[in-house]
Amino acid sequence: MRFRTQRVAYWYFAVALSLFGLQLVMGLLMAAKYLGPDPLIDLLPFDVAKAMHTNLLIVWVLAGFMGGTYYVVAEESRTELYSERLAYIQLVAWTLMGATAIVGYMLGWTAGIKMLEQPYPLKLVIVAVMLLFFFNIFMTIRQAGRWTLTEGVLIAGLVLAALLYLPALLPYDNYTVETFYRWWTIHLWVEGVWEMIQGSMLAFLLVRLSGADREVMEKWLYVIVGLVFMAGILGTAHHYYWTGVPGYWLPIGGFFSALEPVALVGMAIYAYAAIRRSGAAHPNTLAVHWTIGSAVFTLFGAGLLGLAHTWPAINKWTHGTLITAMHGHAAFYGAYAMIVLAMISYTRPYLTSNRPERGQSLGYWAFWLQVAGMFGMTLSFATAGIGQVYLERVMGLGYLDTQLKIQIHFVMLVATGSLFAVGVILYIVDFFRFAPLRVAAPHDEGAAPRHAPGTV
Amino acid sequence: MTKRQSRLFFLVSTACFSLVFLALTLHSHTRFGELTNADKMDAQVIAGKDVWHSNNCINCHTLLGEGAYYAPDLTKITQQRGEAYLAAFLSNPSKFYSEQRHRRIMPNPELSETEIDDVIAFLDWVSQIDNQGWPPRPILVSGATFPGTNTQKASGVASSEQAPPAAAAAGEQLFSDAATGCSGCHSIAPGVDLAGPSLAGVGERARRTVTDDGYTGSADTAAGYLRESIVAPSAHLVGGDRFSANGTSFMPTNYGTDLDADQIDALVDYLSTLK
Repeated sequence: MRFRTQRVAYWYFAVALSLFGLQLVMGLLMAAKYLGPDPLIDLLPFDVAKAMHTNLLIVWVLAGFMGGTYYVVAEESRTELYSERLAYIQLVAWTLMGATAIVGYMLGWTAGIKMLEQPYPLKLVIVAVMLLFFFNIFMTIRQAGRWTLTEGVLIAGLVLAALLYLPALLPYDNYTVETFYRWWTIHLWVEGVWEMIQGSMLAFLLVRLSGADREVMEKWLYVIVGLVFMAGILGTAHHYYWTGVPGYWLPIGGFFSALEPVALVGMAIYAYAAIRRSGAAHPNTLAVHWTIGSAVFTLFGAGLLGLAHTWPAINKWTHGTLITAMHGHAAFYGAYAMIVLAMISYTRPYLTSNRPERGQSLGYWAFWLQVAGMFGMTLSFATAGIGQVYLERVMGLGYLDTQLKIQIHFVMLVATGSLFAVGVILYIVDFFRFAPLRVAAPHDEGAAPRHAPGTV
Repeated sequence: MTKRQSRLFFLVSTACFSLVFLALTLHSHTRFGELTNADKMDAQVIAGKDVWHSNNCINCHTLLGEGAYYAPDLTKITQQRGEAYLAAFLSNPSKFYSEQRHRRIMPNPELSETEIDDVIAFLDWVSQIDNQGWPPRPILVSGATFPGTNTQKASGVASSEQAPPAAAAAGEQLFSDAATGCSGCHSIAPGVDLAGPSLAGVGERARRTVTDDGYTGSADTAAGYLRESIVAPSAHLVGGDRFSANGTSFMPTNYGTDLDADQIDALVDYLSTLK
């Protein structure tokens, strides 16, 4: 790390990884509940575990984004952060908010809206933490007097993510209208502005890992984010089909969400071409794995598997089945979990002491077990979902009887989920086995940017 | 392409698509009232929505196909199950399904009677939302009512006896028709009790029932009893507290008015063939 205050990133990543571990515990519990019977039904019923599982994901991925942003902004603007203390206060508030939400769910304190279960006071804390974060970032850039496009896109993504959270603060009497605006937050996050964040982190990593020309990478970053929005904004319609909206959302949703993979193909080519040109010469081989892995897994999980059930004529049969869980797991993991793990893998030799930059076998095991495990989980959800669609939706077998017929896929889910969990545990062990660095140490940034960053 | 052009592409396309999206959103607001029957959204429906949210229902069930996939979709549940059934179910779900057999069970939500009525009113309002005809065919909670199974069973009966009257064929159609919904709660396979008891052999059973001392209805023929059980389900109760409570059957009472006389005749003819 070139700047002392970049060390805050370590603590954001430490929190993120700990919560990732907890998310998996909930995930495995839920998979076991699918097999049933459930001995924990009175202590931790499925609905509570589910709320914890999805909320932990959001909290840890955003903690990763925030930590990554502090690292990137200092580096790109070439300055210490405006206030290190504010960054720590923000992290503590964020963690407390997450912990309160989790305990609250166990006690039945919930807003009961999918992904937005946070009770109202906690939603206000989320807004406050975001404001604190932006204040710190803007003051940092102001004090440096310079910024680059990469960090600009990253910050724009985070600001838009915060803005899109605002509709979730309003009360709605009409369930259909509530659902309509819930997707403004959730869909426009994950298929809009979070992709912006992913794209800019990808650009940041690729410039450093491959020594690719910054001008070229930033030019294509515009194109990719432009394509993401072109398909993603109107692609929101694919969540509207069956919720009580006018009929024109069906063809619009079908057409634009079929375009969504275009941006993701672009992103995968972008990452692959940059690394191929440099011959993967960067010593931090694990960061290269995670970076390319994120781009490729996003194309598979978000692009291909999303496309598989987005067309209205197909979605009519698959909507609300385990097919959605198939797409959801692979997409979130590829696009957001992997990009945060890429960011952590790239920065951790600079944030911890005595860690060799070159990847070690523990790190490779963590990578491949996770990729294999998540691929297996995706296939388990897919096979279970296909069975469910045909038995329950097409042939008319009852829901409960169908679930009994697809039990074997839940066994497969527990097995592959366990494989995935081992990979995550190894990653967490690998992260925590080196102590954090306290002072700034100049280091070789891989290939330094060849062009001077733009100025304000 | 230069960086300037790519920036222009990004800004212009994002602005255009955002504007289109906002315009469609505004237009949708002019239609929501009609599509969701907002005029029927009374205080009880809104209170029911709060019950739905505060009990975290969405994290096991789906509604309008959205939620979690651990429990059945409830979009059209009030069209498949009568209010009395739903109220009895919500006051103690474990009475209706076995955790050993179904491998999972709904925890008792411990709702008050008012909350139960409210959430049923909310679900009933949801079931009326004009949502492009989804689901394309009814999603059953339990049971094995393959459309084909019914046909085979019925023609098997027919071939062993004399050919059934034409009305019975129409009745069979009605029985498995999604709009009538009989097969949503009644199987004709022996021993398969869904929300309602299995109707396997009901033609024969009806004959025994009307002459039985325990019979509480007012019919005096088997066909009369079958007709009575369609139009006035509580006249004679069978099957114990899985199917009724406080002397009231869980079966909806609207069939006497929703079906016309010919349809009821056809159903009675069909049910009489089940021996």
